[in-house]
Amino acid sequence: MTAVHHAGEAGTPPTDVNDPHLTRFDIVKEGLRRDDIEIVTYESQFHGQNSKAEKRVVRNISLLFAIAGLLTLAFLVFYIIWPWQFELGHTMSDYYTPILGITLGLGLLALGFGILAWAKKLLPHELSIQQRHGDPSSDEDRLITGQTMMYVADELGVQRRPLLKGAIALGLAPVGLAAAAPLVGGLIEDPHKGDLPMMYTTGFNPEHNGGKPVRLTREDGSPIRPEDVSTGGQMTVFPGIPHGATNHWADSPTLLIHLRADDAAETRKNADADKNGRNRGSMWGNYVAYSKICTHAGCPASLYEQQTNRLLCPCHQSQFLITDNAQPVFGPATRRLPMLPLTVDEEGFFVAASDFKDTVGPDFWERP
Amino acid sequence: MTSDTPARRRARVFSRRRGAPSRARRRLGAAVRMIAALALAGGVYTAFTPGAFAEDNVQLSAAALEGKSLYDTSCISCHGRDGQGVEDRGPSLIGVGSASVEFQVGTGRMPMTRQEAQAEEKKPQFNEDQTKQLGQYVQELGGGPQVPDGPLVDDIEAKPESLARGGELFRINCTSCHGFGGGGGALSSGKFAPSLHDPTPDQIYAAMLSGPQNMPVFGDNQLSPDEKRSIITYIQLQLQEDKDPGGLFNLGRYGPSTEGVAIFLVGIVLLVFTSLWIAGKS
Amino acid sequence: MKRRKVDLADAPVTFAKGVDDRFQAATPLRGLLNKVFPDHWSFLIGEIALFSFIILLLTGTFLTLFFDPSMKEVAYDGSYPALRGTMMSAAFESSLNLSFEVRGGLFMRQMHHWAALLFMASIVVHMARVFFTGAFRKPREINWVIGVLLFLLGFFAGFTGYSLPDDGLSGTGLRIASAIMLTIPVIGTWLSAAVFGGEFPGEFIIGRFYIAHVLIIPGILLALIAAHLGIVFKQKHTQWPGPMRTNENVVGERMFPRYAMKQGGFFMAVFGVVALMAGLFQINPIWLFGPYRASEVSSASQPDFYVMFMDGLVRLMPNWQIYIPIGNGYSIPPMFWPAVVGLGALFTLPMAYPWLEARKLKDKRIHHLLERPRDNPERVGIGMMAFSFWFIATISGANDVIADKFHISLNAMTWAGRIGLVLIPPLAYYISVRICLGLQQHDRQVLAHGVETGIIKRLPNGQFVEVHQPLGPVDEHGHPIPLEYAGWVVPKKMNRLGALAPAVKGFFYPVEKPAEIPVSPAVGGPVKKEEIKSGR
Repeated sequence: MTAVHHAGEAGTPPTDVNDPHLTRFDIVKEGLRRDDIEIVTYESQFHGQNSKAEKRVVRNISLLFAIAGLLTLAFLVFYIIWPWQFELGHTMSDYYTPILGITLGLGLLALGFGILAWAKKLLPHELSIQQRHGDPSSDEDRLITGQTMMYVADELGVQRRPLLKGAIALGLAPVGLAAAAPLVGGLIEDPHKGDLPMMYTTGFNPEHNGGKPVRLTREDGSPIRPEDVSTGGQMTVFPGIPHGATNHWADSPTLLIHLRADDAAETRKNADADKNGRNRGSMWGNYVAYSKICTHAGCPASLYEQQTNRLLCPCHQSQFLITDNAQPVFGPATRRLPMLPLTVDEEGFFVAASDFKDTVGPDFWERP
Repeated sequence: MTSDTPARRRARVFSRRRGAPSRARRRLGAAVRMIAALALAGGVYTAFTPGAFAEDNVQLSAAALEGKSLYDTSCISCHGRDGQGVEDRGPSLIGVGSASVEFQVGTGRMPMTRQEAQAEEKKPQFNEDQTKQLGQYVQELGGGPQVPDGPLVDDIEAKPESLARGGELFRINCTSCHGFGGGGGALSSGKFAPSLHDPTPDQIYAAMLSGPQNMPVFGDNQLSPDEKRSIITYIQLQLQEDKDPGGLFNLGRYGPSTEGVAIFLVGIVLLVFTSLWIAGKS
Repeated sequence: MKRRKVDLADAPVTFAKGVDDRFQAATPLRGLLNKVFPDHWSFLIGEIALFSFIILLLTGTFLTLFFDPSMKEVAYDGSYPALRGTMMSAAFESSLNLSFEVRGGLFMRQMHHWAALLFMASIVVHMARVFFTGAFRKPREINWVIGVLLFLLGFFAGFTGYSLPDDGLSGTGLRIASAIMLTIPVIGTWLSAAVFGGEFPGEFIIGRFYIAHVLIIPGILLALIAAHLGIVFKQKHTQWPGPMRTNENVVGERMFPRYAMKQGGFFMAVFGVVALMAGLFQINPIWLFGPYRASEVSSASQPDFYVMFMDGLVRLMPNWQIYIPIGNGYSIPPMFWPAVVGLGALFTLPMAYPWLEARKLKDKRIHHLLERPRDNPERVGIGMMAFSFWFIATISGANDVIADKFHISLNAMTWAGRIGLVLIPPLAYYISVRICLGLQQHDRQVLAHGVETGIIKRLPNGQFVEVHQPLGPVDEHGHPIPLEYAGWVVPKKMNRLGALAPAVKGFFYPVEKPAEIPVSPAVGGPVKKEEIKSGR
């Protein structure tokens, strides 16, 4: 194979490509010359054609392609015949995805490495140098282009015609605004609209229940009696209104906790000593209910530690002390969890005496 | 004290040998005879100590009496006499029920080796029978929740809806601490919710009933026995026994954190090696 | 009319002529075929991102055929028993169905997710490569900015995609996203209400994220990737300094066939690795997470790794709230700083960096040659500072998992992160600058005195000295004449000079032909200058 160490420099004379004596490689080189490329090294990786080493490489590459073909064929076969429908337990179908991945993955890897080996081991070694020509445009060209642009402006003559200037501003600005209006106008929702602004009310607001206090219910809508929650237990409760447990009332989930007597006494003491009085009298017996929606980022802060009386939020690790008005004691939360005023109706089920007296959920700019 | 002396004696033998490796404990027959002398000494010792509670609680069943003698050697130092509790060392066991014993002793959390943030799961020190005996004793001391007899995992052929119901209850009540995949999770200051991949149905049931350590109590009024069984069915069939359909390895089902590690350790490493090979001179 | 002879052998020529008549393609095509690319492993990292993006487009298109971006409540009735009868959104149901009812659908979903992680991971590595080698300098500042924008877009593409299945984890992520919007002063509530169409979660968000995820963001990504590659093509790739390499040329191999084949083979390898990972490692098992419910959450709730730094910063942020006692009172929640200001800064500062550095160094030259990291300790220091900051923030995003699995207190992890975030980056700066200076000094030392040979000689006066092999010519006393540093690898071991065969054959270290130079220091023959620059 050709080994070329040619000392071509920019400015070597052009070759006549129509010369019938030229080899194809000579023509390629002429093309390279025109692109300012010089091949410095171009030599076969093997000694002599059809050398043993070359044959071995060719064999290996062919083998890789064959493996690729076999594995992707296997992929097809398994794709069709392997049981794939989900079954509980440890079954054949659990291996469907792994088998697809292994056959296709290894097949593609074999194909990729076959091509790579071809490029790397079989093609001649090459070292080419191309000139960059990264020079900026000539000063003249810059001048011409710049002047042309200025001339375009002159042609329009906006500078000379101030009336036009004003007309453009007046006429076109509304067009731009009109283009944006449907998008902005369509998306905008007033977060504070209505008598029950969404940021400040939850499903426990009696307004959602025809003015009657809202019951606390389980996720299936069944009401809760005090004895349903054991001492040291907690229950996620929802407002007992239609769809109360769905995401429509995403800020309403509440944690109902039955404290041990001594903890309850402490909680009551702290709730009654509450500075702004919001939590005063909100407990019922040894029961207390806090909003489950973290005041930091809105995750359900529901990791209730019944010995330490802490509530932990799993998203950013804010920790709230249940016995002290759910005051944040660790992590990024700044505000305590709102307490839901509890009482029991005549049938003996828990109801919310009123809505939360504090804003539920993450903080925002205009929260009072 | 007459009729139950042999039983107590045997129990004493058990407890004396408690420190030995559990393997040895199983080869009991010969060993009992070999250290009969010790047992006798124990009997004598018992005779001389004020045997107040044996006489007080004549109604203790045989199993409970065996449990009591285990209790008196292994638990009394922290939980006090008759499970009354010792200030700053161990809580009272009156009313905790056998479910609590089932969980705490059955998973090796009790006896504790030292006071720490949370009792660690260890190799159980008592075998199943002994745990039952201890449980019986604690039950008879002051009552409390008990794990019911009968299967705790539903047959989903007969009750197919149990699995989905269990999953739903699991996500409402359990995942916040134990995680969607049941792998457990961290709590404040070094405490943690353990993985659910190992415990038996009995232990899970007992844990829900008794609320061990920082786990909230899920009494039968909150989660009915049926609902508890559904949760256990979900844990056992879906989280413990089901092979993940999405791959040979489930990366611990921790979600994005282990997936992020995998993409760098496997994906990027493999491909950087490949690019090293591609660009390396051959 | 004369019947023309159709010669099949001439057909390609005729066709080519026809094409050129119409499009004048021959000259540009020749230029394309001949274009020279430099060859170095680190130049291939960006390709991983490109190829993952192609995989993302392919698998993503497949997924859209089965996904239903609707939040309508339906009861699941598929083949996954543990959710049968459960109420869920149609989006979640269709995600389950494409995992369990579509043959090979789960595999495609997992490929899509792994390819997304690979896309972001390779962007991170590629960005580090470009930064530490100074490849962003003039004239490539704009491409660096586009690269940063690509990461930002990838971040949002990833987040919107993560939210689409509407599973328990993604809903939690959306909830946090809404809380982040709420923290923005003045417009927070309005912004959140506009995005979610009212109160969180509303009924629109999945549909809106869907169109963002499958049309708007990929469209912009595609355009920016095209611009990114176009600029690389126009400006030609940077190269390392070395023999024959100058600021005015590119030394490498022509695009066709070798370079193109390597690219094709590498694409297949990337595809293979993604497929392999999709088969071996389960990712995002949404069936375990269940449908999103505002009341349900899991321990270890995290975003994907490329969002984790933000989550980590939010976790580490102390609870400093700013109250403004005007009227009813206003407040800026602490999350505003890491999540909005922090994210903004983490993207705008890198974008401005090329100009900041050029201004500081008063460097307005055009750079086509890369700089070894050690030759610009300042930049390495800043890079390591930024990287360690990002790394600690990312680790902190998973601090609960780490706390749980390694039995560390969660609170201690948070504090370690807070302190680490303040202390480690300056430390990383200092250490990496010192390391760079040390490496620089060692290079200069070897150039001045030669390579340590390990041969100890005893002088007549009893003193022991180590014999050095000079790299260049020696003066009349046999002392080496110091060589100029050429910005490239200085051989520091005798093996590299051909004294011994390389210890490792082939793979990491190329097997180099031993240069024929005398080893004996007494002779100390002049070594060609090229040798200094040898190596890859």
